[in-house]
Amino acid sequence: MMTTPGGSGRFKPLPTAMYAGYSGTASSWVAKTSVSASGKRIQREMAELNVDPPPECSAGPKGDNLYHWIATIIGPSGTPYEGGIFFLDMIFPSDYPFKPPKVVFKTRIYHCNVDTAGNLSVEILRDSWSPALTITKVLQAIRTIFLKPEPFNPALPVIARLYLSDREKHEEVAKEWTLRFAK
Amino acid sequence: MVSETPSKATNRSVDGSSAEIFISPRFKSAAALAGWDEEDLIIASFVVEDTPERSSSKRRRRSNLLSKTSPPSSGSRRRQRIKQSSNPLPVIDLDEVIRREEEKSAEKKKRKNKETKPETKEEKKAEEDEKILPEEKNTTSVVLPCIDKLRDELSCAICLEICFEPSTTTCGHSFCKKCLRSAADKCGRKCPKCRQLIGNGKYCTVNTVLWNTIQLLFPKEVEAQRASASANFLSKETPTPRDSNHRLRSRNRETALQARLQREDISRLLVSEERSERRRRGGSVRLDQDSDAAFALRLQRQEFASAFGVTAAGATSSSSSSSSSSSDVSLSRARANLRAMASRAARRQ
Repeated sequence: MMTTPGGSGRFKPLPTAMYAGYSGTASSWVAKTSVSASGKRIQREMAELNVDPPPECSAGPKGDNLYHWIATIIGPSGTPYEGGIFFLDMIFPSDYPFKPPKVVFKTRIYHCNVDTAGNLSVEILRDSWSPALTITKVLQAIRTIFLKPEPFNPALPVIARLYLSDREKHEEVAKEWTLRFAK
Repeated sequence: MVSETPSKATNRSVDGSSAEIFISPRFKSAAALAGWDEEDLIIASFVVEDTPERSSSKRRRRSNLLSKTSPPSSGSRRRQRIKQSSNPLPVIDLDEVIRREEEKSAEKKKRKNKETKPETKEEKKAEEDEKILPEEKNTTSVVLPCIDKLRDELSCAICLEICFEPSTTTCGHSFCKKCLRSAADKCGRKCPKCRQLIGNGKYCTVNTVLWNTIQLLFPKEVEAQRASASANFLSKETPTPRDSNHRLRSRNRETALQARLQREDISRLLVSEERSERRRRGGSVRLDQDSDAAFALRLQRQEFASAFGVTAAGATSSSSSSSSSSSDVSLSRARANLRAMASRAARRQ
């Protein structure tokens, strides 16, 4: 895994710490709500994830940067992804709750909703994003596409076609990929 | 019957003589009915001071009773009245006892929760309704057993904090007013929770009931948010939104102040003259409010007397009667007189 430059072992959320240092003295310097608000919200989500993590998922900041997270999802049993550990990168925009996080698969996966670069074709991460959605809900949504791929909204139509026409073959290839890349 | 009531009355009367504040008017009437003469006078004086119309009715009743022979039902009625009269005393104690009990039970529940958290969820829910009321009464926030659930329910889905000035959409979901507004700006006019069409967020209003409830339940969180908000927006010219309660309170205070000012207007005007006089002399003597008012009244009388040609000696009180003037004094002369009086009075004090 990559280490972020200047990353110390101890977790220190960079942007909010900076603002906290200045907020008392020069209020004009403080960013116009959006950045600090998003930082606050991300911190809150992190606290909630620590208290009540979703099943077979984990997520946390990659290093110092609060806006760059890494998440893992364990392939659910009963699927060709069973037993695999899939890493995802999550990058939060500065106006985070109002814009979706950018989620990318770092582990290669044979799935019709994930393209070769790891981008997902999940609607809630694009047009139907809502500020009421949280990291937990995003991870749960991704976990459901493991269980139930959406071939009619594919990132890779080739895999979708195979999934619809020859399910057994699809499962076989997916299992092989999981074994090769996710374990 | 007749032998019973006087004994009760004596007990009460002993109480009454020691702590007269706790005697209710009803009891007084009951005592009067029992025919306790030495009490009668005191009671009458009391009642006249407090509520004149009540005393008159009592006297009427008593006279009725004296003239008539007591009807058969009067005994029971008397007993009833005594019972009622004894009510106000324990009510105060009961309130305190109840509050104490509630506090105790709350503590117990806290302890219980610490021991067995997950299993008593249903119990908690049932207790929630009855618990909220006393909680809202004493603002010194006792920790509710269901506080975590309430926190989840009352937090904004957008910022995940306790809703600050919650605004409710037409579909019934509540968010911070600010969050909802920026959500409408940046994500389109859809409810963040259910994606129903909502207004553009410009005209969203604060859900007052919800906001007040939140303020009662989470005063600390609200205060923290308010502090951070004011810190953020200090440079901007938009005034930080104050809570409606506070505004109302301050408005009430203002109106009360105005009313008081109006009442004291004349006396203040009169007193100000005297005050300025004293300031000129550089005296550090401070009059208390009562003597001020008394002096103002005196001055007022004096001025009235001089203006309408009445001899001042008749109008003024004995202390300042020396400054009598003839009936044909001009207005300027009267003013000079007043000043002299003021300085004299101030020197005396």
